[in-house]
Amino acid sequence: MRCTLLSLTPILLLAAQPGFAATESEGLAQVKAFTLEHNAALVANAQKMQGSAEAYAALVAAHGGDYKAAWEADGPKLAEAVTAMRDNWLAASNEYETIEGIVAGIPSTAKYDLILDAGNPGTEEEDVAEYDLTLPDGTVLSRPGSLFHSITEPLFWGTDATHIKLEADLNGDGKIGSGEALFDANLAVGAAKGMVDWSKALETDMAAWKPNRDDAFTAVVTMTPTVGDYFGEWKESQFLGGEGDAFVARSRLIDVLGIMGGCQRMYNSAISPVVGTDDAALDGSITKGFDELIALVSETHEREVAGNKFTSEEADALGSEAQDIAERIVAQVLQAAAKHGVDIKG
Amino acid sequence: MRIKSQLRYHLVPMAGAVVLLLAALAAYAVLTPQPAPIGIASTDVPFYRLPFGPDDSGADRLFWPSQLKSASGKFSDPARLPSAAECGYCHQQEFHEWAGSLHAIADRDLIYEATVDANTDSVRNPEQGRFCEGCHAPAEMLTGRVNRFVSVQPADALTEGVNCITCHTAIHAEPEKGNAAITLDYARAEKDQGGLKDGALLANPKAHRAAYAAPQTTALIKSADLCGACHIEIYDHSMSKAKTPQTAQSTFLEWANSPYAQQGITCQDCHMASDPAAQVMALRNGDIAKPQRYSHRFIGANHLLTDTGLGDTLDVLRGGALPGVDREMNQKTLNEQARQTAAFLRTAAGLELRKSEPQGGKLHLEIAVRNLGAGHNLPTGVNDQKHMWLDLTLTDAAGNVVYRSDGPDTSETVAWIEHFKDSKGQRIPDHLTFQTAEVVWLRRPIPAKGEDIATYDIPLNGQTGGNLHLKARLLYRVALPDLLYSNLRREIAIPAFALAELSADLTDIQP
Repeated sequence: MRCTLLSLTPILLLAAQPGFAATESEGLAQVKAFTLEHNAALVANAQKMQGSAEAYAALVAAHGGDYKAAWEADGPKLAEAVTAMRDNWLAASNEYETIEGIVAGIPSTAKYDLILDAGNPGTEEEDVAEYDLTLPDGTVLSRPGSLFHSITEPLFWGTDATHIKLEADLNGDGKIGSGEALFDANLAVGAAKGMVDWSKALETDMAAWKPNRDDAFTAVVTMTPTVGDYFGEWKESQFLGGEGDAFVARSRLIDVLGIMGGCQRMYNSAISPVVGTDDAALDGSITKGFDELIALVSETHEREVAGNKFTSEEADALGSEAQDIAERIVAQVLQAAAKHGVDIKG
Repeated sequence: MRIKSQLRYHLVPMAGAVVLLLAALAAYAVLTPQPAPIGIASTDVPFYRLPFGPDDSGADRLFWPSQLKSASGKFSDPARLPSAAECGYCHQQEFHEWAGSLHAIADRDLIYEATVDANTDSVRNPEQGRFCEGCHAPAEMLTGRVNRFVSVQPADALTEGVNCITCHTAIHAEPEKGNAAITLDYARAEKDQGGLKDGALLANPKAHRAAYAAPQTTALIKSADLCGACHIEIYDHSMSKAKTPQTAQSTFLEWANSPYAQQGITCQDCHMASDPAAQVMALRNGDIAKPQRYSHRFIGANHLLTDTGLGDTLDVLRGGALPGVDREMNQKTLNEQARQTAAFLRTAAGLELRKSEPQGGKLHLEIAVRNLGAGHNLPTGVNDQKHMWLDLTLTDAAGNVVYRSDGPDTSETVAWIEHFKDSKGQRIPDHLTFQTAEVVWLRRPIPAKGEDIATYDIPLNGQTGGNLHLKARLLYRVALPDLLYSNLRREIAIPAFALAELSADLTDIQP
């Protein structure tokens, strides 16, 4: 009986973890299918966002671009449009974060991560999102930063002061709280359309991607160690009392879970079948490491949802712990990569 | 005759036993797993990159642009390197002292970590960080973990900065060269790791002594040369934008040219004395006797990372708990570290009012700032960050402030600080070594036993004469706020430490 239970344990564990595959090719195919599925959902939600932004812009345009007049005449409709844009944004972002660890880690699609989610404006020295954004009125914004976190999130949640047109009681509670504002409709429509266009471009390139071992390993070893940076962004966000304009819509920990979940999926599906064939102990150790990492982030997020207020010091300590686990994982994945003659790019 | 007969009787079984014993020994020798060979070739560390190419002789430069060397020319296995916590199992007092030191956190301190990240990000080359890590993280370096893709597992010993095995396996140092020009023989530590333990080691400590107290090492750890290898820092084109070598840290040379060096007083004599402040005061009084006991606290001038008043923030800045150190022990050793650091800093300098006289409607003051106790320049170290300045307040008889000097960052302030400048001549306040083209002192530091006269001509602005009171403080700060804000994104008030104070009544000052 004891033997039976012991032999069942690994099977139960395998079943509880995402995306294990029997063979490497099957696993790579699973990763690609998973990514395309969420990419399609990203496009759909971006299109909804564009629709909501256009409805918002139409309400403003109906009053000759006078935001005050539009608010006085169509306040509830404008508030509804803002809420819709925010909801669409969250849904689109959820889809993207789920695949970010994969998109950003594959060399041929990494540029989309900068454009959609992680890139800096051209005023910064590094990790600049290399694209220009054309707005409906013909204005061209040169290298404006990522569509999610540099443009739309601060715009929709009212932390981008330069594009606020009118402070307004959006939720109707009788007072104007933080982030309650009507914002530039021209930018909202342009950015939402940009989101649709670039999500589709990603979809095209992802569909053309020929899954391969080098990219799978590269994705895991380049993206997993970024976990400490995300904890740093969480620490600086308004969720922990910081003053950052970005990461205001929801806790950055949700993004961390998505990104690290993507890395775990890539490992379990596409790499584990390779490593496990000749070194089951190493494979088991890496798998356990990912479980620990995901558990740490999940528990931290659960504590945050339960109302725990983290200090900067606690955030730093948790970030260090996550980074340590990530480094152990990556060291082992690199050892496996060397053993299998993998070419790590980047 | 009887005995012979008995021998004959037992000879066959005895011979059989001998044969069996020999067979068993042979089997043991064959079947016992041999220890893995010590040392790992660079080609066996997956994805280890050598972006700076070979040296002039064509040999790989594993640790460049740091000058650190491995005696064997190979990497070490992190799993075979003992952590300080392991050494502390027997050497408890030394471990306890070291745990409070700056050496223990040389690679954990968040300010340092963030600054290395900012530097390597600025050149998009993680391997260039080897320049910093040679001194701050020798174990990380010698195991091949300072790399874009880190394929070597972490281990406790690698998180401990300058730990036991750093100094106690050192076999060669070139202090004039600096930049971690030190050769470490970690193979001895790796070999000893599989050797005797606990009581057996005490009964036969020969191998342990050979690993950590070889004559060459014992001589080196008594010498200032060992300290100098890391307390000299010279920037050139290998790791910065400097076109000609720029000395960023010259502490060893300052000491070597001082009266202390001529008297045979070494770094260890003060910084490793069991009571460093008392040792310096004795030296100031002409007593050059060596300390009775040497401590592993390495007391220095960093009053921020020993400031227990910071509470939990201090633990965070120090990079969290060291392996083998619990909260109670940490608090205890840090309290002592803070006490000794403050006492030590107060022995370094003195202020003297040399002249105070009205001159053309102004009050002319000459204040001597004296280096009384430091065996090197004042200030010393990386002086784009570690700086000092004079803070002056002049009050009238009613207590009204007649004059107050500015803070440390204005051109009018008497301040001893150097500026790092980029290729365009712009100041770099956040220690971006890799962007630095030039290092310039605004006011030269004060050599050991030397002094610098600071002069002031303070307008009396209608002061009709009478008595004034002068208060001067020589303030020291270990880092600029810009460093913490730029690299760590934290606005932490960095306290200034008063190295020396002067209070004087100036009577009957007539404009």
